[in-house]
Amino acid sequence: MQKLQSPSRPERLDELLDPQMVARLGALDLTSRKVLAGKMKGERRSKRRGQSVEFADHRQYVVGDDLRHIDWNIFGRLDRLFLKLFLEEEDLSLHVVLDATASLDCGQPSKFLLAQRLACALGYIGLVNLHRVTVTAVGGLAPTPEGDLRPQLMSAVRDLRGRRRLQDLSRFLLQLEPGGPGGFTEAAKRIALTRKGKGVMVVISDFFVKEGYENGLRLLLGRGYEVYAVQVLSPQELEPDVGGDLRLKDCEDGDVAEVTITAPLLKRYKQMLAAYCARLRDFCAARSIVLQTVPSTTPVDALVLDYLRRKGLVR
Amino acid sequence: MSFLNPITAIIAAAVAVPALLILYFLKLRRRDVEVSTTLLWKRAIEDLQANAPFQRLRNNILLILQMLALLALLLAVAQPQLSANVSSGAKSVIIIDRSASMQATDGDPDKPGTLTRLEAAKRRALELVDRLREPGLLGGAGDEAMVIAMDTIGEVRQNFTTSKAALRAAIEAITPTDAPSRLKDTYGLARAFAQRPVFQEGAAPDQDGSRIAGQTAVMHLFSDGRLADAEKVEAQPEDVFVYHAVGSPLTENVGIVGLRAERSYDKPGTMSVFVALQSTAAAARAVDVQLAIDGQVAAIKQVTLPSAGAGQRTADMDPNDRAVVPANGGLVFSVDRPQAAIVSVSIRQQEPDAMPADDVGYLVVPPARRLAVALVTPGNLFLREVVEGLNLSRPPLVLTPGQAQAILDDPKKAGEYDVWILDRWIPTVRGADGKPAPGLPPGRFMVFGPPPPPPAGLIDRGPGEATIALDVRRAHPVMRPLTLDALVVTGARRTAVEDKSPVTVLAEGATGPLIVEAATLETRALIVAFDVIESTWWVDPSFVLFVAGGVRHLAGEGAEGGEGVIQAGSVLTQRLPTGAEQVSISRPDRAAADLVPSADGQVVFREPQNVGIYTLSWKGPPGGSDVLVDGRVRRAVAANLLDPAESDLGTRLKLGLQSKLVDAQSGDAAGVRRLWPWLLLACLLIVMVEWWIYNRKVAI
Repeated sequence: MQKLQSPSRPERLDELLDPQMVARLGALDLTSRKVLAGKMKGERRSKRRGQSVEFADHRQYVVGDDLRHIDWNIFGRLDRLFLKLFLEEEDLSLHVVLDATASLDCGQPSKFLLAQRLACALGYIGLVNLHRVTVTAVGGLAPTPEGDLRPQLMSAVRDLRGRRRLQDLSRFLLQLEPGGPGGFTEAAKRIALTRKGKGVMVVISDFFVKEGYENGLRLLLGRGYEVYAVQVLSPQELEPDVGGDLRLKDCEDGDVAEVTITAPLLKRYKQMLAAYCARLRDFCAARSIVLQTVPSTTPVDALVLDYLRRKGLVR
Repeated sequence: MSFLNPITAIIAAAVAVPALLILYFLKLRRRDVEVSTTLLWKRAIEDLQANAPFQRLRNNILLILQMLALLALLLAVAQPQLSANVSSGAKSVIIIDRSASMQATDGDPDKPGTLTRLEAAKRRALELVDRLREPGLLGGAGDEAMVIAMDTIGEVRQNFTTSKAALRAAIEAITPTDAPSRLKDTYGLARAFAQRPVFQEGAAPDQDGSRIAGQTAVMHLFSDGRLADAEKVEAQPEDVFVYHAVGSPLTENVGIVGLRAERSYDKPGTMSVFVALQSTAAAARAVDVQLAIDGQVAAIKQVTLPSAGAGQRTADMDPNDRAVVPANGGLVFSVDRPQAAIVSVSIRQQEPDAMPADDVGYLVVPPARRLAVALVTPGNLFLREVVEGLNLSRPPLVLTPGQAQAILDDPKKAGEYDVWILDRWIPTVRGADGKPAPGLPPGRFMVFGPPPPPPAGLIDRGPGEATIALDVRRAHPVMRPLTLDALVVTGARRTAVEDKSPVTVLAEGATGPLIVEAATLETRALIVAFDVIESTWWVDPSFVLFVAGGVRHLAGEGAEGGEGVIQAGSVLTQRLPTGAEQVSISRPDRAAADLVPSADGQVVFREPQNVGIYTLSWKGPPGGSDVLVDGRVRRAVAANLLDPAESDLGTRLKLGLQSKLVDAQSGDAAGVRRLWPWLLLACLLIVMVEWWIYNRKVAI
């Protein structure tokens, strides 16, 4: 729960993804429950008819059709012109929304580290499968020309494709400095406005949003994106290990709560946390958002290979 | 429940309670912790902590426990104490009866013979002392008490104090005496202490209201209620008098209530010892009475005492009081004993008596001797005949006034005669200013006619009218056998008793005292203040009896008139011959004490508290009946109880004073329970519970 004064950050790609894990992730691909149209040629079956080897259908020739697609065998037998349609194989748009607000920078182990590694793992899977990978960090600190760090609303790296772009992805993730109050709803609105097409969106956050996560998730869900939500909670949030008379300071907005930690209060806190998570789960279930709540102690390979596989995000 | 120190507790409460509440309102010094969000915490504490201060206090179990602990602490500061029978006054006068009847061994009625009444009374008194409130630790006055030991007189053993140790020591130091108990004087003494007036500062003593009643003390009497003079005690309505009865109303006793030795008139060598016995036993009882002379058993006689009768119940008796008319009996021992003798009479019973003090009596009998009498008369045939008829050692010396004055001027010659009878003549003595004046010189005199002047005499205002004897003091041993009903005095004189003169009126007429007894240190006289010739007395046999009894009385014979017998508890006063030195007295228990005689040879011993023989011894000349042993003169004095009221041992459960009835208090009064240690313990327990709850609450 508490924020570490000087948390250690990964500085290299192999600190985010170790080689063994890279090997295991290489065999995975992202899935979507719906067959979505892509933007570019890819390895994924598209709703469009295209030029793949996989037959889809026939249709009558109309003027203007490409003569190359006429099924001459049928013309020979029936003396009529039919066009042979093939399934198109296109890419998939993967959009990872990473919460980089100050609240993610709490806990031991850090929630943000897990979020970073998860984003990196999913991005890697997307890249190796020739999907378009976009990673957006909500909140975070950006360096000013003077060298200071200043809170920002969001930052992103867009439309990465191919294994070679892994360096870009990792550079973006490694340079992220969590902090600032963020603005989940505003960031979600901007994401919703700027994204193109349809795809899979993975939101990694703790969802402790004072103004409410509902509007933000609703905005992200619109325009045909399949949304997966991963709620990361630190062990200290699940089982607070504080005691005595405390002045609790919110690391995002500086809000203060004076508490005397007592057994009834802790019990009440846990009830409130359970109720909060249950409400999030209900909200997600009602909108076909797949939610996975994990503690920050969860190994990222287990999270990807086990939890998210079971949820159907990867296969 | 009462509080020793309420003011301090109230002040402490006024400071501590608000301080505790203020502490609760003050903000704690809290540790800063940065968390991911306060969202959930705020929602959690919204339910548990109300924002309003008083709502905050309302459900705070810790504050309630702390307030309880503080309350217990403050109550402990107030020093409450609980008692079923708290002393009702801040001052108590504890009177403990130590008389002979308190030696009865029924102090514990359930186990007779184990505890004397005095021990039981002391125990009860100590319980009362334990119940007294002690001075507060932080101020506040405690109860005060004083201790008076009572028999015939009251003796202050401890003045008012709050020190329980001093009171306990004073009570425990009280030892039994063989004296009878008299309440009246002690009551007056206790009352004087109990209602000590308080004078207002700055007010004139005579001004109205300057003297206000002080705080009335409670008088606690621990006794068996056998107080012969209880009905004479004038209890005022404002007196707070508590009677604690000890002993059993059913205790029976046989005792000697009268003892007297007389020598036969005709044969002075024969001594008769009269013993009066009293029994309160319900059944007739045969007892052996033993007579011992100088320690040697002389005779044993058995006497059967009838059963005590059922007395008439009076309104002032408790239903449990036993109404008994004691049965009386007596016997007479006749012994040939011309010499002086110390006679002891004791009751022998098969079973030991509840009270041993009245089972024995002593008499000091002087040797048989015949008196020598000188008669000075201008010529009185009747008087001369009477005197010559007395059983004297030699014929009476009949003198004229002139001869008598010559002899009386020489003390040695005058001392040869035991009694001088002066008829219508008063000798001349040198007064304090050295001038001769009529008066009585040292010696024993019987005076007829105009009385000598005070102090050993009367104020004579000359002849008066004829009178009869209006009032006669029949208790006096000389007057007891007389009947003066037929006496008419025609030549009476108008006489009066001077204030504070040592004169006892034996018979009084219309003109003043007719017969008086005057007793100064050196002179003792029976004065008949009229001429016998000018009355009808000379033809009355009572005249003969008066002269005979008067001579013997003046000569100091007989038990009652003698100086050798006193009542235990009274003051022993003896006049020793001039020149007595190194005077000491040995008690019956052989303990000795030195006495210092006054200028006229009188010694006073104030502590003849036990029955027995007290022996005075000194160096110097012996008196008439004194014995010389090993170069020291010895004189024995017997102290006896001889009190019928004291020998009746049944405890009175209701004490009837002159103006009110006092019920006996029960003996099972609970002691004071001091609650402050318990309150401190409760405070500690509450603090421990509070600590436990606090730790449970903060445990993660």
